[in-house]
Amino acid sequence: MDWNCIIRSKLGLAALALSLTAGVASAEELLVGAEIPLTGSLARVGSGMNEGISVAVEVFNKTNGKHTIKVITADDESAPAKAIAAVEKLAGQGVVAITGGYGSNNIGPASDAANKLGLPYITSGGVDDSLTERGIKTFFRINNTAGYRKAMVGLLADMKVKSASVIYSTKEATADLAKDVQKELTAQGMTVGMHAFDPAITDFKPIINKIRLQDKSEVILMAGYENDYVGILRAAKVLKPDVKAMIGVWSLATPKMVADFPDLMPSVYGTALLPFPAEFKSADGKLFADAYKKLYNKEPDYLGQFGYVQSMILFEAIARAADKGTLKKGGVVEELAKTDRETLIGRVRFNDKGDNINFVHRMGQHQNGKIAIVWPSDAATGKMNFPGVPW
Amino acid sequence: MSELILQALYSGVLQGGSYALIALGLALVFGTMKVINLAHGELVLLAAYMAYMVESKLGLSPLFAIPLALVLVCTCAVLVYFLVSLIRKDRELNSLILTYGIGIILTNAVLLIWSADVRSTSSAWFQDAVVVGPFYSMRSELLFFVVASVLMAGLWWWLSRSWYGRAVRAVSSNRDAAKLMGINPRTTEIVSFVVAGILASFAGVAIFSYGVIQPAFGHALTVKAFIITVLAGIGSIPGVMVGGLLLGIAEALTVTLASSALQELVGMALFLLVLFLMPNGLFGAKARRG
Repeated sequence: MDWNCIIRSKLGLAALALSLTAGVASAEELLVGAEIPLTGSLARVGSGMNEGISVAVEVFNKTNGKHTIKVITADDESAPAKAIAAVEKLAGQGVVAITGGYGSNNIGPASDAANKLGLPYITSGGVDDSLTERGIKTFFRINNTAGYRKAMVGLLADMKVKSASVIYSTKEATADLAKDVQKELTAQGMTVGMHAFDPAITDFKPIINKIRLQDKSEVILMAGYENDYVGILRAAKVLKPDVKAMIGVWSLATPKMVADFPDLMPSVYGTALLPFPAEFKSADGKLFADAYKKLYNKEPDYLGQFGYVQSMILFEAIARAADKGTLKKGGVVEELAKTDRETLIGRVRFNDKGDNINFVHRMGQHQNGKIAIVWPSDAATGKMNFPGVPW
Repeated sequence: MSELILQALYSGVLQGGSYALIALGLALVFGTMKVINLAHGELVLLAAYMAYMVESKLGLSPLFAIPLALVLVCTCAVLVYFLVSLIRKDRELNSLILTYGIGIILTNAVLLIWSADVRSTSSAWFQDAVVVGPFYSMRSELLFFVVASVLMAGLWWWLSRSWYGRAVRAVSSNRDAAKLMGINPRTTEIVSFVVAGILASFAGVAIFSYGVIQPAFGHALTVKAFIITVLAGIGSIPGVMVGGLLLGIAEALTVTLASSALQELVGMALFLLVLFLMPNGLFGAKARRG
C-alpha cells in the first residue's frame, strides 16, 4: 500500500467520521413549545387542539427519519396574562418555536411576547383580523374569518334565501365573523337581523322569540360555541320559529355533537372539513387518522385537524431550517413564510402578514346521525336537506 | 309586542327561580356564619356532574342522581365547613381566600374526571315544549321552578318554625346570645352547610336538566348567587326569591326590549343600584326592622 493510498483511506475515514458526527448533531431533539388553554373557559377547545399537536409529533417523528420533535406544553389557563407567562416559560426552556393558542384575546399578547423573544408562533385558534394586521413577522395563522365567512355566505347563496337572523356571541371572533357576514349579505341585498348575546347567557328563548315574531327570517345563523348552540337549538325547538335552516359555524358539525345531542342536530349546518364518518383520501390524512385513533381511540374532530396541520407545517419548517443551519438565525420564520403545500384543511400559503390566503372552509349538515359536506359543490359528499330544521 | 313581553316575563320568572335555587345555599351560609362560600357554584356543578354520570353511565333519568348528589355534595359542604372552621383569625376575610381555593381545586378535579366537554341531558322528556297560551318553556324548566318554589317554601318554614331553623337564625343574629340560650353554634353551622348542600344538589340536577354544564361553569354560578344574595339582603330567604326573580326578569326584558349583549350589564347595574340605594339589600336587616 503506497502513502497516497493510506492518506486517501485515512481522509476517507475522517470524512466519514465527520459526516456521522454532523449527522448526529443535526438529528438532535428539537424543542417546540405548545401554549394551550387546558383549564379555564377554553379548556375544551384547547384540549382538542392539544390532541392534534400530539398526533403531529407522533406522525412527524415516525416519518421524518432525520429530526425528532419534542413538545413542551404550557397551560395558559384561558387567560391573556397567563398566556404571556406560558410563552416566556417555554422560551426559558429553550423551545425554537410556539404552536397553539386559543382565543384571539389570548393569542394577541402571547404572540407579541413570542415575537419579542424572537420565537415564531403558529396558530389556528384565533380568527380576529387584528392579529394579522399588527405586522408581526413571526406570527402565522392557518385559518381566518374570511374563510368562515365565504363558507356561510356561499351556502346561503345556494339556498337562495332573502332574509337571515344572525345570533352571535359578543366574543371577539364570533362578533367579527357575524359583522363580516352581515356586511356581505346586506351588500347582496338580503335582509339581515343582528342579535348579539353575552357569552354568559343561558336562556335563548327571548332572542328566538324576537326572531319568530319580529324578524320572521328564512334562516337563523349562529356564531357561537357548543354551549351556545345547545341553548339556541333548544330554545328554537320550544318556540319553533318558521325558518328553513339553522346554520352555525365551528364546533357544530362535529362527531361529538352527533353523539351527545342527537335530538338537536338533525338538518343543522356547521363548518366541517370532513364528513363524518371521516374519509381520509390523502396519504397525510390516513397517517393522521391512524395516529389519532391509536392515541385517542375516537374519531378525529376539526380541532385535532387544525392543531395537527399548524404543528406539522411548523415542524417541517423547523426541520428545513435545521438542515440549513439557520435554526437560531430566524430560519424557521423564513421557512414558514415559504410554506406552500396541500394539507388536511386545503392548500396553505401565507401572505406577508402571516395569514393563510387559501383558507376556505366547507359546510356540513347533520343527516341521519352522520355529517355530509354540502358546500362547496365540488367537495360535497351529500345533497343538502333544505328546507330542514330539527323540529 | 305584548306577546314578546309576556314571554320575556315568563322566561324571566323561570330563570329567576333557577337563580334563586342556586343562591339559597350561599345566602343561608352567609346569613349564619358571615362566610361567603366562593366554592358554592362548584358544589352545584358537582351535583350537575352526578346527574350526568347517572344519565350517561347508568342510563337513568337525571332525577335519580338526586340521592347520590345529596350524599356527595353534603359531604363536600361539611368538609368546606371544617376547613373554614379551622380559620382562627379574620374568618370573614380569610374564608374568601380559602373557599376560592377550594373552588379552583373542585373545578380542576371535575376537569380531570369528566374532561372539558360540554354536557347536558339527552332526555327528550326534559326538553319537550310546554305551551300554555302565549307562554313557552321546556318541561324541565317548569318542573324545577316548582321544585325551587317548594324548596324555598320549605326552607322558609324550617327557618321560622323548626327548632334548628330558629337556632340558625339565632346564631345569625347574635352568636353569643344564642350560646347563652343553649344553642351549640358549631352544630348549627354544620346544619346550615348541610342544608346549603341539599339546595346545591337540587340546583345542580336542575341545571343539568335544562342547561349546559362545563368545568369552568361553577365560578359563574357563584357570582350569580352572590349578586342575588346581596340584592336580597343578608339572611333573607324571601329576599333571595325576590332577588332571583328580579334579576331573571330584568335580564329577559333587557334581551327583549334592548339587546341580549346588555343582559349581564343590566344585572350588574341592578346590583350596584340596589347597593347604592339600599346598602342592606332589598330585604336586609335594616329594611325588615323598618
